[in-house]
Amino acid sequence: MFVEIKDLCFCYGKTKTNTINHFHLEIEQGEIISIQGDSGSGKSTVLRLLCGLEVPSKGKISIDGAVMTDDRRFVLPEKRGIGMVFQDYALFPHMTVLENIQFGLKKFSRSERKQRADEVLELVNMTAYGKRYPHELSGGQQQRIALARALAPKPSLLLLDEPFSNLDAGLQIKIRSELREIIKKTGITSIFVSHDLEDSKAIADRIVTMRDGAAHDWESICTTKKEQPELQLVEMK
Amino acid sequence: MKVFRKIPGYLNIWSLLSLIIVILILLPNLTILINFFTEKAENWAHIQEFILPDLLKNTGLIMLFTGLFAILVGTSLAWLVSAYDFPMKKFFKWALILPLAIPPFIAGYTYNGILDYTGVIQTTLRNNWDITVNQSYFNILNLPGAVFIFTMFLFPYVYTITRAFLAHQSASLVENARLLGRNSWEIYFKVVLPISRGAIVGGVSLVLLEVLNDYGLVQYFGVPTFSTAIFQTWFGMNDLNSAIKLAATLMFIVFAILILEKVMRGRKKYSSTTAKSRPLKPIKLKGSKAWIAFSYCLLIFMLAFLIPFIQMIDWMFLTYEKIASPEFTSLISNSVLVSFIGAALVMVFAVIIANFARMHQSFISKSAARVTILGYSIPGAVIAVGISTIFIDLDKWLFAFYEAVGMEPSLFLSTSLFILISAYIIRFLAIGYNSVEAGFDKIGNKYTEASRMLGLNLTKTFFKVDLRMIKVPLISGFILVFIDILKELPLTLILRPFNFDTLATKAYQYASDEQIHEASLASILIVVISGIAIYIFHQVLEKEPN
Repeated sequence: MFVEIKDLCFCYGKTKTNTINHFHLEIEQGEIISIQGDSGSGKSTVLRLLCGLEVPSKGKISIDGAVMTDDRRFVLPEKRGIGMVFQDYALFPHMTVLENIQFGLKKFSRSERKQRADEVLELVNMTAYGKRYPHELSGGQQQRIALARALAPKPSLLLLDEPFSNLDAGLQIKIRSELREIIKKTGITSIFVSHDLEDSKAIADRIVTMRDGAAHDWESICTTKKEQPELQLVEMK
Repeated sequence: MKVFRKIPGYLNIWSLLSLIIVILILLPNLTILINFFTEKAENWAHIQEFILPDLLKNTGLIMLFTGLFAILVGTSLAWLVSAYDFPMKKFFKWALILPLAIPPFIAGYTYNGILDYTGVIQTTLRNNWDITVNQSYFNILNLPGAVFIFTMFLFPYVYTITRAFLAHQSASLVENARLLGRNSWEIYFKVVLPISRGAIVGGVSLVLLEVLNDYGLVQYFGVPTFSTAIFQTWFGMNDLNSAIKLAATLMFIVFAILILEKVMRGRKKYSSTTAKSRPLKPIKLKGSKAWIAFSYCLLIFMLAFLIPFIQMIDWMFLTYEKIASPEFTSLISNSVLVSFIGAALVMVFAVIIANFARMHQSFISKSAARVTILGYSIPGAVIAVGISTIFIDLDKWLFAFYEAVGMEPSLFLSTSLFILISAYIIRFLAIGYNSVEAGFDKIGNKYTEASRMLGLNLTKTFFKVDLRMIKVPLISGFILVFIDILKELPLTLILRPFNFDTLATKAYQYASDEQIHEASLASILIVVISGIAIYIFHQVLEKEPN
């Protein structure tokens, strides 16, 4: 398995209850997974744990055979090689689009950097916008730049946190098919979080449902899109 | 084991530096507390019996009355300015903060100069109408006089915090009370005062901490308090250990105030529960009511700023030719130098701790933030005692080293600018920290996280992303600290190197040598620079609510 999450537990601060409670998930290479659930179900927290922005209290995460965290190890977020598209994009307001995209390419040589930035800009159809600043772009354009920035360093895994929550409804439908196309073109393994079932159905190969902050027996509720389009929730325990 | 996972997140230069800074800040304060219980002091028994009761009585009375009057003046002005429109209200709104530009000791000697036998009031009465007054009515050099000065020049702390609260948080409650048919006075006492309790308590604790910190005014007015007693035992009796015990006692009082503040404020915070708050819409006052409101604001503004300011300008014209000399230029450069270095270092330290604190929402990082803020509550004289003790020990410890490098073995560090700047950092770190923390709060963690997801570590992220985004709070924090160091008196008086004078110490020296006119040029410079800074801040704050 490309991504393996085993028995993951996490609680915020001093709260006694686990936000993430014995969560298991395995993902194959190239798969697009949607984590689906109501607000407060802990779906965004799973992403933050995966990329190392939060430290789990228990459990193991490995990506492509390398252990990211277990009882004795913890790899810092900047060392994990994971790309992330934030809910409100978090484009650096003091940098142009091009500078934003090249930000993560410090290991590339100068010419490679330019080339790679052009590549991803073309991938998201934003070639003409390199010199603009984030505030000069529309919401949909900002999202594409955020995606391009996350993809530029060629991460092994792409995480998207509520990618459509800041877009209006009309734009949402157009962009989600675009998004799937772009992700499929790169062949990158992706996990995105959404509270909207329609989004999940449109993009994901497989949908994982979370509820009440606890993880459910995911195998029984996760379905492969093609095999079983009707989704059903199965209560755990 | 969660511990193993947590270690990599903590192993970085930020947490290490934060830890060191926190220890450095704690050290002088801990020394005082430990010495209080361990060391013997020769004069302590004497002080306890004959001096301490007076100190406690004076300090208690000054705090009680200054606190009460500051609440009265501060909240009434805040309410007038927030809830009503009257002539020149826009001007008063920020002008009523200006008294903070005049340090109490400068205000004190200015008022004494206005009121005494040779002052403008008595000479006018004598020369024009041949009236000689009973001197005791015009004597301000006593405890009530000190309360008057403290009230007039510190009330803006209550005023600004309460006004900010009322302007942004109170609209629905006040409007409801109006609709329910209550008149203005009822609303003020039954609604405004109770709901702004948190803000008032916050403001008044700042006033009380400033009162405890003051040395110049109470010394000049001859009202013995802890600050003056610490000076006296330390330099007059040459008894550092007794000074430490006095300092520790004063620290206990400070802790009592801080605890009281927490209790009094209760669970009420400044911010309301609803995210969206409308500003309070002022009512237009008409006729005599408008003029009463105007006159009240004008009266306070004149007493707390205009009158002493004009008097200082008058004195300055009498003496500036005598004062403005190369020596005076060196005063300015000394002041600017220590303020600049102090403020710059404060901002560096503040950024380090604030960055550490926001990365880790843990007990350690929260304590680090608390300790940082604590320094501002500790009066200057106490910090001076603590830091001197440490530096003298350090010099003794370095004695052999001084000899080895061929320096004349001496109290090198304790008599250098180094000790003074360290003391400034301890005392004013809180101001820089609050500014930086507010800046970080505003941008949140998302940009930092985005940068780390793109492969940059904490330090690179800081320089490439965070630092650029907190530029404004960084600069405004710097200016605030700069002004505070410029005005600072007790620390500078005690810890400055031999023959090193700043504008504040020189003004104080002239005044205590009864050369009040000569003191005015240095005072004016302090007041004008602080005043400009206050004006800029008011304008910036107005543009950005909350």
